[in-house]
Amino acid sequence: MSAGVELDNVWVRFGEFVAARDVNIEIKGGEFFSFLGPSGCGKTTLLRTVSGFLEPSEGQVRIGGKNMAGIGPNRRPTALIFQNLALFPLMSVWENIAFALEVKGVSKSERRKRADELLDLIALAGQGDKQVSELSGGQKQRVAIARALAAEPEVLLLDEPLSALDLKLRQHMRTELRTIQQRVGITFIYITHDQGEALTMSDHVAVMREGVVEQVGDGNTIYDRPGTAFVASFVGENNMLPGHVAEVGDSHAVVATEYGSIRARASAGSLSKGDEAYVFVRPESLNFADQTNRFDNELHAAIVQEEFEGNLWQVYLALPDDRRMTLSMVNDGRALSHPPGTGVKLGFDAGLAVALPKGPLAAE
Amino acid sequence: MGVIRYFQQFFNRNGLVLSSLLLGAVGFWIVFLIVLPQVFMLDFSFRFNLPPADLGGPKDVYTLSNYEFLMFGSPNNPEPLNVVDLSVFLRTLLAAVFVTLFDLVLCYPIAFYLAKSAQGGYARLMVLSLIVPFWVNEILRAFAFRILFGSTGIINAFLIWIGVLSEPMDFIQADIALYAGLGYAYILLMIFPLYNAIESLDTNQIEAARDMGAPWWRIHWRVVIPFAKPGITSGCTMVFMLSAGALAAPQILGGPSSLWFTQIIYQWFNTGGNWPRGSAYAIVLLVTCIAFVLLMMRLFKVKLGAIGR
Amino acid sequence: MTSQRILRIAVWSYIILFFGYLFGPLILMSLTAFNSAAFPRVSPWECFTIEWFDVLRQDDKLMAGLRHSLVIGLGVVLVAVPLGLAGALMLTQVSQRVRPIYYTIVVSPILVPGVVLGISTLIFWDRLGVMFDASYQSWFYDGTFLTIVGQSTFISAYSMLVFIARLQRFDPALEEAALDLGATHVQAFRKVMLPFLKPAIGSAAVLAFLASFENYNTTVFTIVSESTLTTVLASKVRYGINPSISALAVVIVVLTLIGAVAHEVYKRREQAAERAATLEAGGADMATVNKARAGAIGNPAVAVMLLVFVAGLGTVYFAGTVGVDECKVQVTEQKRRLAEERIQALREKRKAQREANQPTTPEARPSSDVKAKGSEGYGGIFAPDNLKGRAGETDPAGETKDEPRADQGLFSPGNLTGQTGADPKDGDPAEDDPEEAQGYQNLFSPNNLREQSGGGQ
Repeated sequence: MSAGVELDNVWVRFGEFVAARDVNIEIKGGEFFSFLGPSGCGKTTLLRTVSGFLEPSEGQVRIGGKNMAGIGPNRRPTALIFQNLALFPLMSVWENIAFALEVKGVSKSERRKRADELLDLIALAGQGDKQVSELSGGQKQRVAIARALAAEPEVLLLDEPLSALDLKLRQHMRTELRTIQQRVGITFIYITHDQGEALTMSDHVAVMREGVVEQVGDGNTIYDRPGTAFVASFVGENNMLPGHVAEVGDSHAVVATEYGSIRARASAGSLSKGDEAYVFVRPESLNFADQTNRFDNELHAAIVQEEFEGNLWQVYLALPDDRRMTLSMVNDGRALSHPPGTGVKLGFDAGLAVALPKGPLAAE
Repeated sequence: MGVIRYFQQFFNRNGLVLSSLLLGAVGFWIVFLIVLPQVFMLDFSFRFNLPPADLGGPKDVYTLSNYEFLMFGSPNNPEPLNVVDLSVFLRTLLAAVFVTLFDLVLCYPIAFYLAKSAQGGYARLMVLSLIVPFWVNEILRAFAFRILFGSTGIINAFLIWIGVLSEPMDFIQADIALYAGLGYAYILLMIFPLYNAIESLDTNQIEAARDMGAPWWRIHWRVVIPFAKPGITSGCTMVFMLSAGALAAPQILGGPSSLWFTQIIYQWFNTGGNWPRGSAYAIVLLVTCIAFVLLMMRLFKVKLGAIGR
Repeated sequence: MTSQRILRIAVWSYIILFFGYLFGPLILMSLTAFNSAAFPRVSPWECFTIEWFDVLRQDDKLMAGLRHSLVIGLGVVLVAVPLGLAGALMLTQVSQRVRPIYYTIVVSPILVPGVVLGISTLIFWDRLGVMFDASYQSWFYDGTFLTIVGQSTFISAYSMLVFIARLQRFDPALEEAALDLGATHVQAFRKVMLPFLKPAIGSAAVLAFLASFENYNTTVFTIVSESTLTTVLASKVRYGINPSISALAVVIVVLTLIGAVAHEVYKRREQAAERAATLEAGGADMATVNKARAGAIGNPAVAVMLLVFVAGLGTVYFAGTVGVDECKVQVTEQKRRLAEERIQALREKRKAQREANQPTTPEARPSSDVKAKGSEGYGGIFAPDNLKGRAGETDPAGETKDEPRADQGLFSPGNLTGQTGADPKDGDPAEDDPEEAQGYQNLFSPNNLREQSGGGQ
């Protein structure tokens, strides 16, 4: 069983402080949905509102179409995986897993049986009698998932559960989480500040900033068609060029910058002539332009440094007013060797750049 | 409005059963054990000492006579002030200050050693041996000091043996036994706040000071003591309060001519049979102690939150 | 280099002096329990004995007080531990603004003098009793109830501090996790919070019991007409002391040491277990793990301590039963001889004096004269045996009530007790024992000592 989750005009206030501001989100049953944002953006608040530890100051949370107002966390069809996992240190592994059954009054033999089944699912068969402290980080992670699944929730909530793991294990757990989600088929709501996690695992991602949902969409949309300057600067690497709108078309705009007029995509109605605007272009969309390679937009820049990363070259450049740009290109076997200070011409096509209204950017 | 919302949150967080139990227990503790008894004692101190039959009757009115008695003595007292009780009161406070300073000086080196020099298991052993003597009954500890300082006690025997004294000295008459015993009784309450405060000091700061050529006493004066100030205040507060309010040690170790203020209170309750007057004296003791401690905190700029083990 | 060395020596001497101050009085007191002298002292040593333990055991008043103390201690544990727990849990939940005020209120009983707490408790319930027109048999006036309530006022704060320390290490996510998995609030508390707090509950209970057991300042007011171990002890110590109190101290010190050793063993075992667990999790080889586990059980220091303790106990028992009586006979004989010699000397002296003063002082003052002149007459008054004799002749209770100045200038221990006893505000005639007063008549009777120790208390 999986249930959809709807947030309707949800506001959460702590005194003067607004942690969530008019949030409207619809999460379909069986979906892997992520909230992505820097720390302090209100994503954990929203998760706690869904799980029932917080009541919204205004608005409604519905799970499976049912209004959750006044229903405590222990009576909601959700299970939460805590950032630090919150495994009970004084219980053995199987007792942890079977806790949800224990509080329901299920008999011990039944509990043990169910715990063993779940231990199988998370590939920890036979380890049920160990103490939690005897497990490794990844094993603890899986036990936490099994413990949550034992409650047979319709929605599983995960609060940055991978943040404590080392890089390799984190990448492994990403695929594992996705596999488990597909196998059990319930709704996963995942919280993270790591865009890699959000983009690889999720069906849909909501990007948040200061309590506001900036954009909801699938990974491609978020990356390729950011809706706001914040999303463009927060998700992935991006080069930003500020200017004023000089011309607005159906699906494009021309922005006058200090470095010349730049033509970029713009969604209809988002900009009007004279507005301050930012043009974003990703490092991988930048190219070196010359007589043979011509692009819609071209800029003069100077090389600052070149870094070889194996599969990629990262080239750091400076525009005439010392604004920094990054260009990355696939290593195709040609060695780059521009001495620092070399003047070059950068080029990119209008379809790969996006013009957005001026707005707050992600902190570096 | 805020209060209602707060209680709502409280009940939401803990559920009905636990919330009620928690509120009930804490409420009972604060209201029936802490606040009301003090309020009743205050009220009682402003009343006459009446036989049970007159309680609540026309004679049961408020009066300042109990406090007046402490100040001026009985109406036929020839002196302008109640010299006996007031001097006992002042002596008690002064002696408590003395005991506090004694403990501070005595415990500071040990606390510092424990916090910064002692190693692992060795430090644990030291802590344990600090605690063990304090599991022994307070009366017995005082008793031990009476044996120690008695005229046939080991101290007199030793002093005579080395020739310092030619005849036994009456340490009890001289109150030396009392100060030693009181100081002993509150060592633990001084050491642990000091230890906690000094322990949280970054050892690098001491080393930096040493590196800059500061002599050891300057390191303590300029680095350690300022940092440990909350601990020092906390320890001194506890020791002062407890020694000013001590009863057992003065009763056992006090000389016949030297009374402690608590002993006068005790008399009013037991042999004197005048509870309202005893209450008034107790209130004076309490208020003075609190005022003294608040003054100290103001002087040394330490907050009350720092008090407590 | 040398200054460093001097500093180190200074530090060490200080530490030794400090712990000497800490343990010296207790060790000395413990030793006096094994000396047959009627006054607790170590020098001069008379006979090694354990008879004071028998005296202790047969002391009905003390034993009744002990039983009462145990009951009250249990009551206080039952009241103060839950209150302290509730207080600590509440502290984690009150809002930031209220927290300092709340903390001040609940911690204040620790700082309020115990005397004040006792008085206020006594008055409060007494007044309530008057308001409800309760009879004197009701619990408003019941010493046990009042003492439990009065002690709980501040012992709850002690136990609260224990719980606060433990709660600071509690991860609130654990409780939320339990709720999230469907547990009710009560279930989450019982299955997650309580097991976590279990060690703290244990220590709070022990602390509460000990604090109650040794409390005097509050109890002496709230106990009304009953008595606890400490109040019995206090009146004993104030009105006269004998080594059976030292014997009690020995028992308590030994119990304390056992407790401390047990605590240490438990702590080490726990640590070793933790170490073993983390080693295992880290994938250490089994040999290391086993070594860590073994460390938990076979601790040489603890074993040695226990061994010494058992051996000491055996020696004490053996030595205590053999040869005590013989030794005592010798000591009394010696004392008697000394006393006789002294009387003889006195007589001769007086005779000489009488001869010299015959015309001016014809009146003879038989007994008080002996005393008054004693201090001048005894050339060797500070000879150890001399003191022994005096200690034997004076008695624990206030025989000096009638003539409080008679002993002035004599440094006998009974002098002190006499004066404390005669202290006008503490004077309690009930403590005067006629038998002892009688014993005073035949000052130098060797049996005097026996009688008093037996019939004293």
